[in-house]
Amino acid sequence: MSNTIEKLKASRYYGLVLLGAMLLFFYGVFKILTPSNFGSLSNLYTYLQASIIYSVGGCGLYFIVVMGLFDFAVGANIVLSSIVGVILSQKFGYAGFILGCLGCGTLIGFLIGMLYNSLNVPSMIVTVGLMLIFESVAVFVAGGVKQTLGENLRFFSGAPGNIILALLAFLLMYFILNYTKIGTYCNAIGSNEFTAKNMGINVKKYKLIGFMLLHFFVGIMAILTVSYGTTMTALTGMSTMGRNFQPLMGTFFGVAFRKYKMPITAIVVGEFIIQIIFNGFVALGAPTTIQNVVTGGALLVIVSLTARGGKGSVVK
Amino acid sequence: MSNTVKKDQEPSKLRSFLSSDTFKGLLPFIGLVVIVVVMNILTQGKILTPKRLRLLLSQVYYPMIVATGVFFVMTLGSIDFTEGSTLGLASIVISKLSFTSIPLAILGGILTGAAIGAINGFFHVKFKLQSFIITICTMFLFRGVCAYLTTETAVPASAAIKALDQNWLKITITVAVLLVAWFLFRFTRIGNDVKAVGSGETAARFSGVKTDRVKFLTFVAAGALTGLAAFVNVIKVGSITATAGNQLETQILISLVLGGLPITGGAKVRFSNIIVGTLMYTVLNNGLVMMGFESQTQQLIKGVIFLLFVALTIDRKALKVIK
Amino acid sequence: MENRVLLVAENIDKRFGITHAVDNVSLTINAGEVRGLIGENGSGKSTFSQMLCGIYSIGGGTFTLDGKVLHCRNQVEANNEGVAIIVQEMGTLSGLTVAENIFLGHEEPFMHLGVKDTRAMNKEAQRLLDEYGFGRIKAGNMIDLYNFEDRKLVEIVKATYMKPKILVIDETTTALSQNGRMELYKIMDAIRADGRTVIFISHDLNEVLTHTDTVSVLRDGEYIATVNTRDVTEDDLKRLMVGREIGSAYYRTDYGEPISGEVVLSVRDVSVPGQIDHVSFELHRGEILGFGGLSECGMHEVGKAIFAASWDRTGSVTLADGTEINSIPTAIAHSIAYASKDRDNESVILNESIRNNIVLPSLGDLANHGLLSGKKLTKFAEKHALDMQTKMQNVGQFVSDLSGGNKQKVVLARWLGKGSDILVLDSPTRGIDVKVKQAIYALMADLRRQGKSIIMISEEIPELLGMADRIIIMKDGVLNGEFLRDPALSEEDLIAKMV
Repeated sequence: MSNTIEKLKASRYYGLVLLGAMLLFFYGVFKILTPSNFGSLSNLYTYLQASIIYSVGGCGLYFIVVMGLFDFAVGANIVLSSIVGVILSQKFGYAGFILGCLGCGTLIGFLIGMLYNSLNVPSMIVTVGLMLIFESVAVFVAGGVKQTLGENLRFFSGAPGNIILALLAFLLMYFILNYTKIGTYCNAIGSNEFTAKNMGINVKKYKLIGFMLLHFFVGIMAILTVSYGTTMTALTGMSTMGRNFQPLMGTFFGVAFRKYKMPITAIVVGEFIIQIIFNGFVALGAPTTIQNVVTGGALLVIVSLTARGGKGSVVK
Repeated sequence: MSNTVKKDQEPSKLRSFLSSDTFKGLLPFIGLVVIVVVMNILTQGKILTPKRLRLLLSQVYYPMIVATGVFFVMTLGSIDFTEGSTLGLASIVISKLSFTSIPLAILGGILTGAAIGAINGFFHVKFKLQSFIITICTMFLFRGVCAYLTTETAVPASAAIKALDQNWLKITITVAVLLVAWFLFRFTRIGNDVKAVGSGETAARFSGVKTDRVKFLTFVAAGALTGLAAFVNVIKVGSITATAGNQLETQILISLVLGGLPITGGAKVRFSNIIVGTLMYTVLNNGLVMMGFESQTQQLIKGVIFLLFVALTIDRKALKVIK
Repeated sequence: MENRVLLVAENIDKRFGITHAVDNVSLTINAGEVRGLIGENGSGKSTFSQMLCGIYSIGGGTFTLDGKVLHCRNQVEANNEGVAIIVQEMGTLSGLTVAENIFLGHEEPFMHLGVKDTRAMNKEAQRLLDEYGFGRIKAGNMIDLYNFEDRKLVEIVKATYMKPKILVIDETTTALSQNGRMELYKIMDAIRADGRTVIFISHDLNEVLTHTDTVSVLRDGEYIATVNTRDVTEDDLKRLMVGREIGSAYYRTDYGEPISGEVVLSVRDVSVPGQIDHVSFELHRGEILGFGGLSECGMHEVGKAIFAASWDRTGSVTLADGTEINSIPTAIAHSIAYASKDRDNESVILNESIRNNIVLPSLGDLANHGLLSGKKLTKFAEKHALDMQTKMQNVGQFVSDLSGGNKQKVVLARWLGKGSDILVLDSPTRGIDVKVKQAIYALMADLRRQGKSIIMISEEIPELLGMADRIIIMKDGVLNGEFLRDPALSEEDLIAKMV
């Protein structure tokens, strides 16, 4: 009997059911509390469109987080890459926009990875410093003015453009995780760096690849973000910090559901759940400033459930 | 397998000096002098005028009080990102209570800070979650609460509390905080315990240090000190907006790193890190402003200096695997 | 058995700091041979084989396999040369699927232009698992879903599917149930039948006798002998493993002193899940109580349990006056000291000064109304460090600079400074050179005479025989035998209770 339960728990369907139950639970709670202005089909469609943007970033962060690393420069790079993309789009149209965002994104990832590898300083610290730097670079690049995406370049602003691009990103993620060595090696490095090294894995190289992949996805996220909002303003003063956490929440879902072999589904559904909670509160009449409270609270609950250290482990 | 690392290459003399503890210990002082001299030259001596110095000093008080608390947290090897939102929330509490009674307001501010610290400490210790993740979560949470409380208008403080905006009072509070903290750090077992947890938590536990309690209380104390700093902030600014305390956490982190505090914490921290670091940051900040740099240029320079100092002061031996 | 030489090890050498782990070992192994490699804990057999497999760098000498000199920098390179190992510890990685684990570092056959054919990889992994008879393990599943034994089986597949010329099995059988062992023996037989070679490391001499062709014995890092399995008995092997001079001025020389009847500490029904099971014993005043057994027998956990440092401990540890020891601070306050086997993590704070290491548990006593004086602390630390003859520049020196022996002296100085009456010393002379060892033994004898009680947990049998008034042997988490101090007591007597 207990054996069948164990087996059931091990199957990926158990993970799916778990995710589905969470989704239904939060949807149900808010639907009961405010039946009229929450959770209609068109509402849900809106929540979904917002959530997939974060899911894309969540996918990228997955590579870094499974290795036990961290990146605070994601937000800064979203801003920087989208500004570069918008500026290039003014000359080269869609090609400039897309390649600008993706190219700038990946280049930043390369810089972060190289600097992390050569400085030998925890990733969290390096990326805090780089966040400051990239934020100011973004202001320089933008020339201190608000950058607006041209009217003729709004394919990704709404459905189906945004959904198509996000789906492509998820497919790419699925491909990398399942059909290249990168996914395997990132997991191996995260599990035990010494053993991984011993198995002939070039740890530094794969950490660099991890940062580059993350920021390639950040580039995609930049396309979606600036298309969704149509403008982007570069600001200094750690104003991009907040942009780090929405993708991160999805990533934590992904890591938590890794054992069911469905990180991408978990990231996407997780982000959707967060959107439901946030919009549920708004529907209840809470001001939009509540978003930070929801973000912080939800992240706290998620990490408490998923990222706990074992007994006797030293946690700093 | 550290034993497979090749150790036979002799490092050059300069390199070994650059990585020596003596140099790391001196670096902040050298840095402070260099920055003061450089800024003085670049601003054509304007930074050392009495008027400027007074202004400089007025910017030092509350960051120094906050940095004192964070210093203890970072000595543990942990990190705290909640100072900004704690300062904001505590300032709101103080402002609201200042209409009833000023001592009550101060107490309310300290308790607010301590409560946030307790939440951080609880999650950190009980759930064994990394402090930077926890404090980022709570930072967001309380930033949101601040924004919520200041959605309509800024929160004003009473005239009585604003009347306390006297330099002597602020100096007294700051100096008192530093003295008490220094005393606790040097002459009671608190300092030893906190350092021991930072250098080797497991061994400290096996030597009878109540590691969980030490960690929890350190976070509470850091919160409480930020709450006290909020009082100094309120008497200075008089009304609290949603941006109160914005970025304070980065400012403190950069200050302490500039002051030579190794990010790994432990035995190599010096109490002077707080003072040197806060002064250095303030001089740097003011100098950059006076030289007419735009805010983005200032931030760029700060970011570069921060990374440079981390790379120079970090104790890589204390990190087994660098994550 | 063919008579073709497969592996030649010439003058293999390895030092870890001052410990000479492998001392100039030379041996040859033929193709189609199962070679047992035995020796006591710390005899260098694991280090020797891990150098062969690229896990440790080779300190000196050469391995020549099939006429080719090996220079493996990691396991994958060793695999490619035809050498594979199943390690003592967990060798599989969490967060990866079973198939990914099996082919980690060997993905090339499944890569086409950078694209990994996951289906083919899973299929091949499943085929291998089925072939080995481990079909219930599914190649596509996360390794995290399987227990320790199944993960070991996956490791067996990982190490052997590529048909290595030499397979090293390093104390794997202890992790396996009877069925799992049978599977492993079958694989060993198959490799032999195939004309390839196995190096089989085990503490279970019975197992070694039944499943090997030849046995090589190491002792204290040195090569002792190689014998044909069918020519020897278990006793012969034991003699070869031990064969050391006991006695001399190294250890205590007194015999026949009665143990005091005064009980200072009683341990009742102490269990730690997965480690020790209902352990009960008493410690007497002025007694050195030795604990022996194999590394994984649970004796190290007993030390932690007494000091209340174990997680999820049940049962009671009580002092003579009825005080229950339930937390480390209580243990220390009631005069219990503990020196861990894991000296660098659990005993000393490496990145801290000698002074602060020594004063740490005594801060409460040294404080005057809660106030500490730096001078007083330094004086206190100096006194106790010098009492122990710690080699140092001054007490401000960081412990990370010290040798293993001097680190241990700092630990002992700390507890003697605290004035502890009950000392729990886990592997007190592990990785320590002879001179310091001698000093530590002398100190223990001295403390015993002062009426202090010592629990000495040790993997070194001569140390137990030489120092303890009473020896408890553990096996699989339970007490398995008790001996009183006696010159007639032999290492064989103890070993018989360990394995």
